[in-house]
Amino acid sequence: MMREITYLEAVREAMSIEMRKNDDVYILGEDIGVYGGAFGVTRGMIEEFGPERIRNTPISEAGIAGAAVGSALTGMRPILELQFSDFITIALDQMVNQAAKIRYMYGGKGKVPMVLRTPSGSGTGAAAQHSQSLEAWVAHIPGLKVVQPSTAYDAKGLLKAAMDDENPVIFYEHKLLYKTSSAVPEEEYSIPLGKADIKREGTDVTIVATAIMVHKSLEAAKELEKEGISVEVIDPRTIVPLDEETIVNSVKKTGKVIVVHEAVKRGGIGGEIASMIAESEAFDYLDAPIKRLGGASSPIPYNPELEKAHVPQVSDIIKAVKETLNRA
Amino acid sequence: MQLTKEKLLVPELSNDKLIDLYKQMWQIRLFDEKVDEFFAKGMIHGTTHLAVGQEASAAGVCALLTLEDKITSTHRGHGHCIAKGATADKMMAELFGRTTGYCKGKGGSMHIADVDMGNLGANGIVAGGIPLAVGSALTAKMKKLDYVTVCFFGDGATNEGSFHEAVNLAAIWDLPVIFVCENNQYGMSGPVKEMTRVENIADRAHAYGIPGVVADGNDIIEMINVTDEAIKRARSGKGPTLIEAKTYRWKGHSKSDAKKYRTREEEQEWRKKDPIKRYKEILIEAGILTEEKAEEIRLAVKQEIEDAVKFAEESPKPTLDDLLTDVYA
Amino acid sequence: MAKEVFMPKLSSTMEVGTLLQWFKEEGDPVEVGEPIFEIMTDKINIEVEAYEEGVLLKKYFEEDDEVPVNTVIAYIGEEGEVVPAESPGISGEDSDPAAETDSAIGNSTVKVAGETEEAKSEAVLENGKVRATPAARRVARENDIALNPVAGSGPKGRIHEQDVIQAISDNAVLVTPLAEKIAKENDVDLGHVIGTGARGKIEKADVLAFIEAQKAPSSKPATGERVKLKGLRKAIADKMLESVRSIPHVTLTSDVDMTKAIELRKALLPIVESQTGYRLSYTEIIIKTVAHVLGNHPKVNAALIGNEIVYNNDVNIGLAVAVDNGLIVPSVKKANKKGLAELTEASKTLGRKARDNKLTPDEMQGSTFTISNLGMYAIDGFTPIINPPETAILGVGRIAEKPVVVNGQIEVRPMMVLSLSFDHRVIDGAPAAEFLTELKESLEDPYSLLV
Repeated sequence: MMREITYLEAVREAMSIEMRKNDDVYILGEDIGVYGGAFGVTRGMIEEFGPERIRNTPISEAGIAGAAVGSALTGMRPILELQFSDFITIALDQMVNQAAKIRYMYGGKGKVPMVLRTPSGSGTGAAAQHSQSLEAWVAHIPGLKVVQPSTAYDAKGLLKAAMDDENPVIFYEHKLLYKTSSAVPEEEYSIPLGKADIKREGTDVTIVATAIMVHKSLEAAKELEKEGISVEVIDPRTIVPLDEETIVNSVKKTGKVIVVHEAVKRGGIGGEIASMIAESEAFDYLDAPIKRLGGASSPIPYNPELEKAHVPQVSDIIKAVKETLNRA
Repeated sequence: MQLTKEKLLVPELSNDKLIDLYKQMWQIRLFDEKVDEFFAKGMIHGTTHLAVGQEASAAGVCALLTLEDKITSTHRGHGHCIAKGATADKMMAELFGRTTGYCKGKGGSMHIADVDMGNLGANGIVAGGIPLAVGSALTAKMKKLDYVTVCFFGDGATNEGSFHEAVNLAAIWDLPVIFVCENNQYGMSGPVKEMTRVENIADRAHAYGIPGVVADGNDIIEMINVTDEAIKRARSGKGPTLIEAKTYRWKGHSKSDAKKYRTREEEQEWRKKDPIKRYKEILIEAGILTEEKAEEIRLAVKQEIEDAVKFAEESPKPTLDDLLTDVYA
Repeated sequence: MAKEVFMPKLSSTMEVGTLLQWFKEEGDPVEVGEPIFEIMTDKINIEVEAYEEGVLLKKYFEEDDEVPVNTVIAYIGEEGEVVPAESPGISGEDSDPAAETDSAIGNSTVKVAGETEEAKSEAVLENGKVRATPAARRVARENDIALNPVAGSGPKGRIHEQDVIQAISDNAVLVTPLAEKIAKENDVDLGHVIGTGARGKIEKADVLAFIEAQKAPSSKPATGERVKLKGLRKAIADKMLESVRSIPHVTLTSDVDMTKAIELRKALLPIVESQTGYRLSYTEIIIKTVAHVLGNHPKVNAALIGNEIVYNNDVNIGLAVAVDNGLIVPSVKKANKKGLAELTEASKTLGRKARDNKLTPDEMQGSTFTISNLGMYAIDGFTPIINPPETAILGVGRIAEKPVVVNGQIEVRPMMVLSLSFDHRVIDGAPAAEFLTELKESLEDPYSLLV
């Protein structure tokens, strides 16, 4: 029986294994030293790797992002930790205007192999500036790759692939998933970026869900099974590149699809996935309108009931499935 | 080396190198003047930012750099590229959007880079290159490599947050980086006196606990001397230096600039401080150059630029298949 | 206060009624019980009488308008009372029309159509396209069928893939292998060929006829008078189509020796006539026999409603009566409990009322088994179409003298053919055959009914 570790430990383990092998890999970020990072991901690492490679930085998201890009361009493989994914806005110029474009602007010369790790998502009561899911922003930028693991197993394998990738990769960790556990091999392994995972097979309806919504969808699927509804849950795992084939094949099979994410629905990645499906050969198999579930069009509120109401819940997913199946 | 009664060149440079720097200044000037001509004629699309009048800082700062050393540049970057070893033909081809250009025609004027030659790229984002230079310096430190990184930026960039964050990082980590602020008096149309309260940009260095040096940006010898000291400091692990090169751009900010924010008289005053003319006089006085030789060099560079144009014009254009290549490594 | 006059629901299946004529104009005084207007349902024409007295204040519909049931058609009240400018829709939703303000009127008019009608109209989009999912469209395209007739199960009548699959299986073109081969060779779309075989099966001759017809110059439209399919004709058309589409019909026939039935009629004729004033006919004898035998065969006296088979308690015999422009089926209630005199009176009365268009809704409902008698024509056997939701229908042919073998001797006997069509979903051949056999035996020995 394989040991189980938490999502947080899986992230740390992936980095530690890599750092033991490759001196070019280092981590920089705010409070990642003896403090262990805002969520404790790097706890204990400075003791093993020292302050040069577990590089505690000033509170300068733009500066440290640029430093990561510049060092990647000159031969390092930095891992940049941002304490909250909301703060990516401050680092965005360096990621969007520099990291994403350098290789293309320079005619294929130079590369920026770096990983920007950052926790996203609500549910912690941290309110509007510490709870967002802004993955669609970066998914929009050619030159960046975007990863959203939902399990400890995926987190370790995907982080390995992200660290091996020659491009800037934005790696979204989910705060509420840090404490969740799953069976994770002790040895190193890589999950290719751009390969979705069918988390549950089904025949009546496809749910494409990301990050924590994978778990909510699986919970909904379990409930719906009692009513004889067979739900397929697909976790894209990476939204850039997106495994269109797996999604399209599933929709061709079920004819019905719901896209669920925590990020605000308006302009969210769900719109992209829905459009992709509508443009694909799955169109002719669609037997119900594509449904999207996402966060409300408001900042994330502090009050716990409101905070919960902001993002899709299991009951919302169940309702959406039934509506899609005309069984509401 | 005492060149004239007033001019002492601190680092040891050969006469050939000094003449070469003279030639380089002409390369910078004539390249940009040709580009100016082409833009005026509508032969090149997009936009461009010319460094005519600022040749001494580019050539002087880069005079002591090795192939391993790095630079980051700005939107006004043609001069820096040439000073770091780029050739006019591939630069012109880039501006013509040809596949033989430094960026295969996909970067254009604002993004000329030659990573292999240590040019980490011009940058369209004001102050965008400053954190990159710090990152490059971080690599040198972590990999225990000997190179330094020179970071060029303008006076306008020092009001960007990135400047302050990046200089602070370089300072706390004692990174081998040299910040070169080419203060050409205007951030586009904004006069530096209106946009900054401090007398000198270099004064800002004190806020980060590093040396700040003011230099005559139109005097190549002075630029070489201050850079020499900054490089020594960087290579010995003592950290960064902020050099402010006071200079002036003769042309407008970019191709469409009526220059209403400054006077003819001011422009004439600065033209009198022509860095090429001043350097030529020093070299002649030092007995290193003659008027005839100087003219010969200018004409040779002129021909070189014409050849570069020919090369660019004859170079192939990218195909539509190139649109999606090099997005990812 | 003004009172509503609304479209009555005269049968369980009635959804709309057609306003045939007004007997009153706005402003006319109206007495209780006075007919105000005449309507036609899918089965019947009927005069609608006033329940209130007063003045006809407002008429909301014109003659020939189709009006959903329960929709307010008019108001009766006192002279000068204010009523809505337009029909407030379903009766009873706004009980006080006088209190209505103008702004509220607009809101209620959208309710004129009933739920089903609303869904039907919403199934067609503004651009005339049918509301259907891409998957439904694909399946329709692949099977070359039109979406319009397909009933949508989704919201707003949206057609889903399963609806199309259902429609295809319901409408599957029946075709003989030879006909199919010929059609293929000649590039004929079988969807356009009308089959003349059993259950519309397309046979070789049908395809050949179609090919011939295609060759003939057919640019000229068919000439002749054109009459819109409506009212009773439309109702019959819909009902018959629904029946043959949804019910797998099987027809059994049997020859009946009517010798003793004729004797019986002769014997009872004067008695019945003296009691009722009506002449006993074979129809009543057959009703009596059928009703009796049905009592022994509850499976045949059943109805398929939704997913349930309902075994009817009563035996109500529907009588197909030919009227102008159609066919009406009044119902003889509890026929198994009635004697021949009573049956004669009932059947004669219902027949007359049907022809005079005077049947009440109650008289038109509730039949559990239908008899279609074409015995007055030169018809022997035929394949009657079941009157849904009933399980079976009996077709009665003429009584004709025919040579039959009786005890090894050829004899001439008055013979009649009975044709029993049954719904094979509800019963199988054996029970249907048992029923028909017992019916035959009973008619051949009608005295057994007395036992």
